[in-house]
Parts: sequence; structure tokens; C-alpha cells
Amino acid sequence: MGVVGRNIPHDSAEGHVTGESIYIDDIPPLRNELFVDFFWARTSHARILSLELTAASRVPGIVAVFTAADLTTNCFGPIIHDEPLMATDVITFMGQPIVVLAGETRDSVKRAKLAVAIQLEPLTPIFTIDEALSQNEIIGQTRVISRGNLADGFEQADHLLEGVFISGGQDHFYLESQAAIVYPGEGDTLTVHSSTQNPSEVQHVIAQLLGLRLNQVVCITRRMGGGFGGKECQATHPAAMAALVAHKTKRPARIAYNKDDDMQVTGKRHPFQNRYEVGFTKEGAITALQVELVSDGGAYADLSPAVMGRAMTHVDNAYYLPNVHITGKVCRTNTPPNTAFRGFGGPQGVATIENILEEIAMRLGRDPVDIRMLNCYGISERNVTPYGQVVSNNNLPLLFEELVSRSDYRARRDDVLVFNGRTETQLKGISMTGVKFGISFNTKFLNQANALVNIYLDGSVQVSTGATEMGQGVNTKIRQLVADELGISTDDVTVMITSTEKNNNTSATAASSAADLNGSAAVDACRKLRERLAECARDYFAASPAGSGNIADSVVRSAMIRFEEGFVFAEESPDTRISFAQLVHYSYVQQVSLGERGFFATPGLAWDAEKGVGNPFLYFTQGCAVSEVLIDRFTGEVTVLRADVLMDIGRPINPGIDRGQMTGAFVQGMGWVTTEDLRYADTGELLSHSPTTYKIPNIQDLPMDFNVDYIEIENSVNIRGSKATGEPPLLMAISVWTAIKHALSFASNGEIPKPVIPATHEEIVMLLAGYENARVTELTAGVDSERLKADNSRPS
Amino acid sequence: MPPSLLFYLNGREITVDGNDAFQTVAHFVRGLGETGTKLVCEEGDCGSCSVLVGRPEGDAIVYRPINSCIQFVYQMAGAHIVTVEGIGRRKELHPVQQAMVACHGAQCGFCTPGFIVAMCSLFESRQNPDEIDVRNALTGNLCRCTGYEPIIKAAMSVDPATVRTMNERYPPNNLLPRLREATHNSLLIEADRRFFAPVTVAEAVRFKADNLGTIIVQGATDVGVLHNKRGFDPPVVMNLSRIPALREIALSAESNPGEAQTLEIGATVTLSELEPFFREHLPQFARILHLFGAPQIRNAGTLAGNIANGSPIADTLPFLYVMGASVELTGTAGVRRIGIESLYLGYRKLDLRPDEIITRIFLPLPAAGEILELYKVSKRRHLDISTITAAIRLGQSRDGVTEARIAFGGVGPTVVRLRATEQFLIGKTISRETLRAAGAIAREEISPISDVRGSADFRRQLTQNIFSKLYFATDEKERSREDAARVKRDRWVS
Repeated sequence: MGVVGRNIPHDSAEGHVTGESIYIDDIPPLRNELFVDFFWARTSHARILSLELTAASRVPGIVAVFTAADLTTNCFGPIIHDEPLMATDVITFMGQPIVVLAGETRDSVKRAKLAVAIQLEPLTPIFTIDEALSQNEIIGQTRVISRGNLADGFEQADHLLEGVFISGGQDHFYLESQAAIVYPGEGDTLTVHSSTQNPSEVQHVIAQLLGLRLNQVVCITRRMGGGFGGKECQATHPAAMAALVAHKTKRPARIAYNKDDDMQVTGKRHPFQNRYEVGFTKEGAITALQVELVSDGGAYADLSPAVMGRAMTHVDNAYYLPNVHITGKVCRTNTPPNTAFRGFGGPQGVATIENILEEIAMRLGRDPVDIRMLNCYGISERNVTPYGQVVSNNNLPLLFEELVSRSDYRARRDDVLVFNGRTETQLKGISMTGVKFGISFNTKFLNQANALVNIYLDGSVQVSTGATEMGQGVNTKIRQLVADELGISTDDVTVMITSTEKNNNTSATAASSAADLNGSAAVDACRKLRERLAECARDYFAASPAGSGNIADSVVRSAMIRFEEGFVFAEESPDTRISFAQLVHYSYVQQVSLGERGFFATPGLAWDAEKGVGNPFLYFTQGCAVSEVLIDRFTGEVTVLRADVLMDIGRPINPGIDRGQMTGAFVQGMGWVTTEDLRYADTGELLSHSPTTYKIPNIQDLPMDFNVDYIEIENSVNIRGSKATGEPPLLMAISVWTAIKHALSFASNGEIPKPVIPATHEEIVMLLAGYENARVTELTAGVDSERLKADNSRPS
Repeated sequence: MPPSLLFYLNGREITVDGNDAFQTVAHFVRGLGETGTKLVCEEGDCGSCSVLVGRPEGDAIVYRPINSCIQFVYQMAGAHIVTVEGIGRRKELHPVQQAMVACHGAQCGFCTPGFIVAMCSLFESRQNPDEIDVRNALTGNLCRCTGYEPIIKAAMSVDPATVRTMNERYPPNNLLPRLREATHNSLLIEADRRFFAPVTVAEAVRFKADNLGTIIVQGATDVGVLHNKRGFDPPVVMNLSRIPALREIALSAESNPGEAQTLEIGATVTLSELEPFFREHLPQFARILHLFGAPQIRNAGTLAGNIANGSPIADTLPFLYVMGASVELTGTAGVRRIGIESLYLGYRKLDLRPDEIITRIFLPLPAAGEILELYKVSKRRHLDISTITAAIRLGQSRDGVTEARIAFGGVGPTVVRLRATEQFLIGKTISRETLRAAGAIAREEISPISDVRGSADFRRQLTQNIFSKLYFATDEKERSREDAARVKRDRWVS
């Protein structure tokens, strides 16, 4: 059996558990290294009248003080070049850098920051989507995806529902805050160590801002202490600030945000405010859906247009929408530019439709699972997305049915109804939601990767790709793929530190596709190497006395050469074999190249953003989840009693690592929909900027009953039949939120409850307080389940 | 030679003097190149900086995890600090490290050293923990990657019999004499700032009188945060750990059968040390302690510290208010005892003379038949600062409520007694309607503010709701219906 598909530990696991793994700020300082920090705006919108830096630059230990004037260019951005590294005349968000300071010690820089004097003329800030819309503060173009005829669809409908779905932001809360160290080299070159998901972008932006050629900047990423999208674009800022210092002072420069600053100055998951109108039959089949998606992009574009693109292509989620009109608009506000976050707009799109389906069921007094299954994409019909892509190999109906049964959903739903009829202190809710998550970057050209594989004379192998390791295990998967291709042990393969010196023009480690793309590129390199090695093996087996010479030349020339378990042999003659290491050495002596560059570009993708049509995704990762919650009616405290997650993740390259993605993403999603509450003062100041005030899930929040599983179905279009698992499971936690909505419906006196995301204890207590005269429908024990189903009709 | 602090780090003897003593432990060990200890929040809320601190107890050293980001080096005298590097290296992994590798308990790895430390402490007693024990032991550690499930699996897969405890790895015989000696005498360190560790109360009081403005740093769970976040570095600090008398817990003798007893708690007794007492005598408060903070915080923090800090959302205060707790203050003029409520003059303002220190807390336990309910409401159930806290104590006779003491925190600048609500309840029979009416009075009696933990309206609503919740807590029938899954999670709820 090969090593692909095996559950081997993460390649850094032993380093992690012993504390040996090195992160940016663990790198020992060089003797003349400078510490870098920046003076940032404490107001959300203002004109800078004057900036006085003399006092700051005179603080003992301060070596340099820089402003935008010290940059060659002060403008960058991954999609639209609209963002300055440092504010010049107008401050557009609280946390915006204005001055970069470098000193001998952290303490001197801290004191110099306090000595910066700035005079401001306040300008009116925009904080909400409504304010931005009313002032037409829009980033980029409004996009549309449309199919069928809305008017006809609404005509066919028996019922209409409309509403606004609101979801809040989320901080990435990677444990390692943003950090970089930059070493100046000879001739204006720079070596940048950055905790980034996107070394090429760091390289590009630094070169652009400092007026260097790309070949003068090398960006290196060993690993990140978590990324989750937060280091896709926004690791660039600290790296660029340290690069500025290193470039100008010719001294090594280190920057490491503290947690409070990190949370205050960086962008978040996009808040959305989505208006919808849905038409559906009396059975619950959606006939028409109109959705206006509006996101809060923050002050600059960052990745917001792409995030909106993914939100728009995920509003359908698992469900067929015959007549549909989706618009997407990004608002500009005076908050830090919102950015990529695991799911990348997908969660906001998917939560919108899952909310709608929950409401349809409430309106009809039906079990929402039946409504979901009724609207689910078909396998051979009703299987085209609103943007025209066919949902091939659709496993959603299977997943839904399988999990309804495995989770004992029907009986537990009955229990929930009975429970809610019996107690006045608590509410239970249960809900099932699905996920269909498109895999590939929406921007077609990003779907490419290269890899470098070097074989050394002892048979050990180094592989380098553009993928960055942030804990997700991409390096481990690549290690397995390479070992498998070359028929050697994973112990013989080391995945090297990521560096733009070895792999150029790489895409971000994002869109869940790093293993797909970089793994494919590495395999491409291995296959080229194997071909050359196989030819050498033929020579070896045929030749005498240099080789073994014991297979006839005529036979060996057409023989299939196999690489297995550290040995190489002709298929026809498995007993005559040579060790991989021996073959490598033999090939070297024969003057054969033992290094190779591999390349991969995802075939068959097409996306027309103007028209909103195309095949943007290579395939879909699918899944569903059932969550059951318990709510304390007096304190609003939510307990997730049980969660069942079932996914189709193809044939996993490493089941343990994929499982870790599923459990981790689910809990992270749970945080988004429950306790992760970004609170701002009226001034725009973020008040929840550390774990004391910003509550990500704790170990005690993990459901006591948590069942995570997958079905193995070969995904023939992707590397070794696997599927991407990084982002999709986060969306499964939307079932926790719909379960809360379900629970609230037992106390809402016939109204459809309208919690926002996150449904915090405050949100729940205030909603419950609002349902005046709320009375739980009296249910008695022993009611037959048929009647219970029919009777679940509070919202009518 | 200047006086120096002595402690051990991963089996090595370390002496520190001068300004180095005023660093945090995390910065100190990282500065030595032991960078496995990570810094994330620097406020004791994430556990990434967890280290084991071993202190002599009998003929062994007892190791407990603490947050090294909010502990100062000067607190470490006589301790053996074990960081992740001292637990196990590559090729000689500790069983918890092996389990974390095998179970994919580490993803990005940044939180992992902290989890290893906390998990390691779980197995120091060699007992076989169940899942609740595991969760409780790891409450103080945040992980953003794994969703915790693989970490729990890892802990559950460890065979306690294979664990080489810290006392086996670092034989106490080699360390004990040096560690004991290190805290035998008082210690004064004079650098840019001044540190004093007295061995008697008299010495402590005299020093405080001579050095006005001395801040007592015992657990440092608050001063450490202020140091990191606000540059709070008081010029003179004092630590009382070397005073044996302040480490005692005593239960006053039962004078008459059935009469309430009083618990006497020394000022340096940690919250962890209190837990077993309350679990036995007052499970309601044990539950609050359980939710209070992580093991790392409870291992450092003290009840006296919670009182001296005087935060209006201090989790223990409403309870101390309704119990009529009192505080023993010792100064140069002698000892006085003051009721807890008289201690607070305003927002974080205490009736404490400059030379006085808190030496003991007297806590009367409830009498039989009293209703005592304690509440802590927070956004996240565990390890979260409260939105509101509440304590309600009702004495009843056949004629109804005879005595009512109700204290809320988080609804004003100090913890407050709700006198009007108390007055209303006197003479009433506990019923749903009575408590509903009490809630309506209570919500008007408070003056909450809106902040990051909730709006003023929300706090009013919660205050009102607590009375309805109380009704059901007193109603056995309803109580029995409460979901078993929930009860299972709260070890201390009967």
C-alpha cells in the first residue's frame, strides 16, 4: 500500500509538541537588529493637518522614523490598487499606519510612538452598510448573477417571504500575530521572513513600494501560527514596513504585532446585510429568489470583490433555484479593509439561503429537512447552478439521507418538540444544513502552481512549492504525494521552507486548493524525474558490468519500471531490483539531472464576472451537518449538545489531517455564529480586541457529542481522487445558528424569529424579551410523531 | 554580591538579581532562547505561555500550570519552572507529546506547547482522567485550528501508567533543599524598582508603612495584565508567599449543632487550594470558582486578590456580600476586622490604610434551609469575564422570607446590594409571581452601563431574568426536568 491515503502525523508535529518549531519572533535576533512598530490612526476618518516627528526621532534608541514620503510608491492592492501603506493627507480607518518607527529596543519604539504629534481635522466617518449605501460609497462594480424569469417564478409561487439577513464580522484570531523580519543584502536586495499565506504577494508589494525589481526581493515562509485568510493580504503590511526600515537603514528589521494591535488594525470577515424575497410552492419548492448581497468592505478593496464573487456563487448552496436574481455590492466604510477569511464569502452566501429555507419551513409548518431535500440539487436534472455550471457528481442527496439516518434526526426532532413543551427554563432546537463549496480560485489565472523536486545522492528528496504551511497539513500531503510517486518512504522526503527564490509567481495558499494545485505540480515534477530514472534503471538492468545486466535488453527496454517501497524494478522481473538510493547514485554517474520543476494549471475553468456565468470551479466539496442546541431562556446561554458532520471529501490523501480540518473549521464556524462578537464604540474603536473580550470557542464549548465522519468517493478530476477540505466544513456550523433559530421559534409567539449572526447571549435574551406574552405551545408526552410534525406550526 | 532570587528552570539552577527580576517569566525564558513558550494575548486568557511551576509540598514538588505571561520572575523564588522544553524532547517524548502527535492534536503548533504543559499537569497525579477532567484541565488553553476534538482524543489516549511524572524526571531530593533555602529568609531586591518578600506579617506591615504605595503582587493575575497592557510598573512591590501564617485555611469549630460555621481563609491561599473545600461545603460557590477562570489563573490568583482588586465584576464579590463575609486587615496599629461591604468606598476604592494588608477572610457558611443561588452570566460560558454576577440568599420560615440578601455585580460601579428588592421579598412566600415582581423591581434598582460585555438594557433584562431563573432553581419539579446533558457538564452541580 502506498503512503497516499495513510494517516501519518503532521510533518511538524514533533517540533510543535516539543516547542522546537520556529515562528517569526522565535528567530534569534541579530546583533544590530532593529525593532519596528508603527504609529496608527486612533480616529476613523480625519484630515491630517500636521505631523510632527522631531520629538519621536529624538527618543533615545530611535534609529529611524519613516512616513509615506519615504516610499517610492504608496499604493497597492491585490485586485484594485487603491490602498496606501501609510496615510498621507486623509485617515480612512482607525488602525491605519501613519508613521513607521525603528529603534534599538521595543521600549524605545513604544516611547517614540507616544511622542508622535499629529493634528487632525475630523471628518464624518461611515460605519454601517446603510450609511455607505445612502452615500453611494461603493467599491468596484455591482455584479449580477441571473437565471430564468423572476416574474414567472413569483407567479408560480403560493407563498412569498421577504426579509433581511444580517451577519457580523469575525476576527481570524490566529494565535501568532502578524510578524516579519527583513534582512538587507548586498546591492539593495532584501530577504524577507514573513508569516504570510502569500509570499509572492509580499515580494511583489515590497518591490513595488520600494522601487525594486522583483528579483531583488526574496520572501520566505517557514510556517504560520495560523492564517485562516488573515495572512493572505494583510501579512503584507508588516512585512513592507520592516522592509522599508531594512532597505533604508541597511540593518535587519523585526516587526511583531501584539494581539491587541493585530485585532485593531487588521480586517475581518466581511459583515453582510442581505435583502431577500423568495417565492415558493405550498410544498416548499422555491420558484423564485431575489437576493441583494451587500458587504462591508472596509476602507479599501483588498479582496472584497472576490469575496463578494464567492458569496454570490454560493447563495444557491445545495439547492436548485430555477428563477433567480443575485446582485452583489461592496460598500466602502471607515473600518480596516475586510479581507479573506476561511470560506471567503461562502459562509455569508450559504447562511442566507439556509436562513431562507428555515423560514420557508416555519411558514409552512414543515420539517425544514424536508424542505431542504425537496430543493436539493438533482443528480441528472435540476443540477445547474444559477451561473451555469453543472453540479457534477452530486452527492448531496446521498449525504442528506445518510446523515438524517445516522444522526437519528427525526426522532430527536420529536424529542425537541416534546422537551420544549415541558420546560419553561430552556429551549432546544435542532437543524440540518448542507454545504456545496466550489473549489478553485474564482480568478481563473490564479489556479496554477509550480514545484521543485531535488533528489540527493543518498536517495533523500527535497520538495519545494509555493504552498505555505499554516497548520492545515499541506506539506504533509505533498510529502505523501511525492513519496508515493517515487516509491519511497515519507521519511526520505522533506518539504522545504517556502521561498520565492525556489518557486516564483505563486498563488496564495488559499481557496482550500493549496494541496490540489501544489500537490499536482509536485507530482508533475516527480513523474518527469521518474521517467528519467526509469530510463536509467533500464540501462542499469541491461548493462553489464556497470549494471546488474541480468535482464535481456530487448525485454527491459519495453518493461514497465516500478518504484515501490524504496526499490525500483521491472514489472516483469520484480526480484531483480535496485534500491532507490542506488539508482539515484547510478543516474548521477550517468550524468542525468536529478532535479525537476513541475507545473500545474487547473484545466477547464472559465468565469465571466461581467455576465456572471461560467465554470469557475473544478469540483464541489459537499457535506451536511445536524446540530442540536440548548438555550437558557434567562441568560441566553447556548450549549451545543450534539453535532454530526458528514462530508464527501473524495479519497483523502491524509484522513487524519482532513478530519482535523473538519473539526477545526466546524468549531471556528460555531464561534462565528454564536460568541464571536466584534463590539465597536461609537467612534469606531474596536472594543473586543483580545481574548478577554473577544470570545472564540473554548474547549468546553465543543459539543459533548460530536460526530465527524466522511464518505469516501473518488473525485476523479482532482489529485489522487481527493477533495479540498480547508474551508467547506466551516459552513457546516451554520446548522448551529439555524438550530438556535429553530429553538427561538418555540417562544416567538408565531413570529419568525430573526436572530443575527452572531446569536450571542444578548441577542437571544433581547429577542426572547421581545416576544411578549410568549408562551410555549403546550405539548404532552406521548403525542405521536406525525401530529408533532404537523403541529410544529408556531410561525404560521 | 547583591541579594538574588534562586529558582530552577528545567532542572537547571538559575539566579537572578536586579532589573531582570521584574520581567515576566515568559519574557525571561524566551530571552534564554527557550522559545517554545509562546506569547499571544499577554493577559492570561489563551494559555499559550503556560509553564509548570513546581513548589515544595512535603517531600515532593507539586507542579501546577500557570500563565507565564502574567507572572513575574520575582514570584518564582524557590520554584521549579518546567517549560515545554523540559517536558520532553524529540526522541524522548512525554506520553502526552506522543499522543498529541499521533492524534493530530497540533495543527499550526502555536498553542501546542501550552496544551502540552496543561495536559502534562493532568497526568501528574497518574489518575485516569475522563473527558470532563480533560476539558476542565484544558479550559485555559485556546486553540484556533483543531476544534479541540483531536486534543481531547489525545489526552484520553494517554495511558497514565506510562507517564514519568515531573518528580520522577526531576528527582525532588536534588532540588528540595535548594528550593526551600531560597525562600527561608526575607528578600529585598533594589533595582530601578524595589521588591520585598517578607517572612512575617509584622515585617510586611512595617515595610508597607515605610514604603507608601507598595503594591502587593501575590497572584499577579491582574498586575501582570496591567504591566503588559498599560505599562503599570509600581515602584515598590511586595509578595507574601513566604509568610506561612497566610497560607492557612481553617473551618471554625461547630459551637452548636446546626449552627453555621465560618471558613477562615489566609490571604495567600490560591483559588485552586480553595476549590476542594467549597466542593465539600458549598457546591454553589465551587461552581463559580470552576467558571471563574482557567486552572492557570486559579493556581495563581487568590480570594484576597479578588477582594483587593475590587472590580465590580469580580466573580466572588456578590457571594461574599450576601454571606456577610468580613476581612481581617493588619497594619502597624494592629488588626481590625471589617465587613466586606464597608470595605468598598467607590469604583475600585477600598477602605484600606496605606500600611494595612489583607491577612484573612472570614466567610460564614449558610445555615441549613437557606436558599443560596449564585449566578455568573457571560458571553462564553467558561473563562469569560461576567456580563453580570449575582448572589441571592434567602432565609425562610413558614411565614415566608425572613431574611433576604441580594448582591449583583456588573450593574454599577461597585457590587451592589439590591435593598428595595430585598425589602420587597421580606415576608413574602416564594412563588413565581413574587419573584417575577422582584425581578421587575430589581431591574429598576440598578444603574448599569453599556460596554463590550453587553448593553445597559441587556443587563437590566438579565437582572430581571435572574429572579425568574431563581424561581425554577427553587422548584424541584422543574429542576428535575433540566436536561441531563447540561448537568453532566457541571461537575459541581448536584
